[in-house]
Amino acid sequence: MPRPEHLVTAAAVSLGRALRDTGLRTTVDAELGFCRALGELDVRERSQVYWAARASFLRRPEEIAAFDGVFDRFWRGLDPAVADIRAEHGESDPRMPGPQHGGESLPEFRAEGRSSALLDGRPSRATREIPAAGADEDDGRGPRDRRGVLAAYSPDEIMGPREELRYEPAELAAVRRLAEELRAAAPLRRSRRLRATRRAGRPDVRRTVQRSLRTDGEALRLARVAPSRKPRRLLVICDVSGSMERYSRALLAALEAVAGSGLKTETFVFATRLTRLTGVLGGHDEGRCLEAARAAVHDWSGGTRIGHALADFNGSWGRRGFARGAIAIVVSDGWDRGDPRLLARELERLRLQCRRLVWINPRPVDAGSQPLAVGMRTALPYVDDYLAGVDADGMASLGRLLAGMDAGPPARSQRPVGSGR
Amino acid sequence: MPRFESIEALSEGLAGERYLVDEGLATVVFLALRLRKPLLVEGEPGVGKTELAKALAAAAGVPLLRLQCYEGIDVHHAVYDWDYPRQLLHLRAGGTEPLFSEQFLVRRPLLEALARPGTVLLIDELDRADDEFEAFLLEFLSDFQVTIPEVGVVRTDEPPAVIITSNRTRELHEALKRRCLYHWIEHPDLAREIAIARTRLPAAPEPLVRQVCAFVQQLRWLDLHRVPGVGETLDWAQSLDALGHDGVDQRTAERTLGALLKTREDLERVRAGGLDDLIARSGDAAA
Repeated sequence: MPRPEHLVTAAAVSLGRALRDTGLRTTVDAELGFCRALGELDVRERSQVYWAARASFLRRPEEIAAFDGVFDRFWRGLDPAVADIRAEHGESDPRMPGPQHGGESLPEFRAEGRSSALLDGRPSRATREIPAAGADEDDGRGPRDRRGVLAAYSPDEIMGPREELRYEPAELAAVRRLAEELRAAAPLRRSRRLRATRRAGRPDVRRTVQRSLRTDGEALRLARVAPSRKPRRLLVICDVSGSMERYSRALLAALEAVAGSGLKTETFVFATRLTRLTGVLGGHDEGRCLEAARAAVHDWSGGTRIGHALADFNGSWGRRGFARGAIAIVVSDGWDRGDPRLLARELERLRLQCRRLVWINPRPVDAGSQPLAVGMRTALPYVDDYLAGVDADGMASLGRLLAGMDAGPPARSQRPVGSGR
Repeated sequence: MPRFESIEALSEGLAGERYLVDEGLATVVFLALRLRKPLLVEGEPGVGKTELAKALAAAAGVPLLRLQCYEGIDVHHAVYDWDYPRQLLHLRAGGTEPLFSEQFLVRRPLLEALARPGTVLLIDELDRADDEFEAFLLEFLSDFQVTIPEVGVVRTDEPPAVIITSNRTRELHEALKRRCLYHWIEHPDLAREIAIARTRLPAAPEPLVRQVCAFVQQLRWLDLHRVPGVGETLDWAQSLDALGHDGVDQRTAERTLGALLKTREDLERVRAGGLDDLIARSGDAAA
């Protein structure tokens, strides 16, 4: 009969493993913390153990539903490998910026790992460990595990069945060049952080006095500080619906460049719903990023509902300040199947939050020319800058546009825009 | 570090400060105190994250040290500074004490928390501070020590109870989260919200409080831009009480809805959706 504290340790470890198998990021410290927590509680009480586990393992509210599922199985002592977490995920609180809004990307659920033997004290490694077929192909190139997030997605829909998702060397160079340009061109904002300056700025009493201590209390030279400047955040919301398909490669390259520019960026894509790509793009291996981005989006080449996507953004992300002070860039051709009034209303909300609203239309259509798509006509009054064409030229003009933004206060016209309804 | 014997004792202590916790929050706070770990609390605005720290300090009868975060906050605001004017005067007066010693040290909240054992330290809205400051906090939170170059390492054997709040305007760094216990506070359910409102507003008539809470509960299920929190519920109940009402009716609701909903779109949405209907249903739910 094992000693009771070993039982607790084994249970804690197996819960940690079960959570990892479900795709939640957990660490060994969390398991240790959970063990220590159990020492302070009545381990026979489900709710006490639940809250201890949740406080130790959980890191963000989007994970609650998945966590609850695993914990439930853990407590019942059943195999915690998850049958259909995704369904449970979908039932989480609709007000949360959860996956049903296309908000936080879902954890990637893998069903191959199994952990069990929970409170019976046997170490979980002793139990069946069945490496599922295809487990080691999960590097983004092999046949995809069609569970969870990836179930809805068929790579064939996008760029032809066999097309390798890799950049040509020339493309890669272009991506890097654009990233470089963006970095150089990014508009700056005043930061609240002060930095020492030689001439301009207000007197810095602290440093002046500090200096004078060296000269027996005589202040010989006035030290000054001024607010430092930081690049503004770039927020890109990019249309990847059917009508944009022929540009998707160029768009991904552009998004990649934005993410890789070293600036603070947030990237979202949408067709029928919004997906956050921040964190997926911008790694050092551009090819992998391309695959990862493609895998993260469920509805490539779906229909377009720009208004809905923007409403999702405003409701889940904008409300939390993701657009505040940012340069918001919407990339879309304006072919919209949704309600133009919704589009207008949400654009107005976005416009009110961001510093500047830029619209890039990959189709080389001038703002004045006809025919413009309905969505585009709706959007134009709300947009501060309109760029057309997403080829190398178009992107270079984005760089020029950004570079020009720094001069003086925003050149946003004071004309009132329609109330949007 | 404040001590409570059991989870129940903690709940009662907080209730004594008119802060009602559910079992989950009580358990997590209890654990944070016992394990001497910082507690990271996240939740929608208005669910009572900051109040938790205040109530905890009051319940334990210990001082609350509060560090409000903002962009650009740095060591001089958070940890320590030197009292330069005093140093200068000292020097001018021909003093011989070392200038960079305890005597001239100005303690900011984090250092103060190390110097005074058994306090509650509230690090409020950490998401507003920048990455640099968050990185700096790591040393403090894992070892409860800070390094002051001129003085040396300051540490404590009795760490403060640390409560960190965030509104999730950005994701906090994983390394910081790892050092904390985590709790997500939900909006309270109807029964709890009524209990909270009655505790907070003992003078308000009960039918009014019940109906107000039921009304707000329904609002939270609408797709609003800014979901009203408990704070707004209390504001609204108080407004109605101040106007001498003991229930919610259409006309008064129209006029006072601004205490509850803070954007034009939300106001219009609720009005368009049928205020009378909401009021009728909240009346039923309250009964």
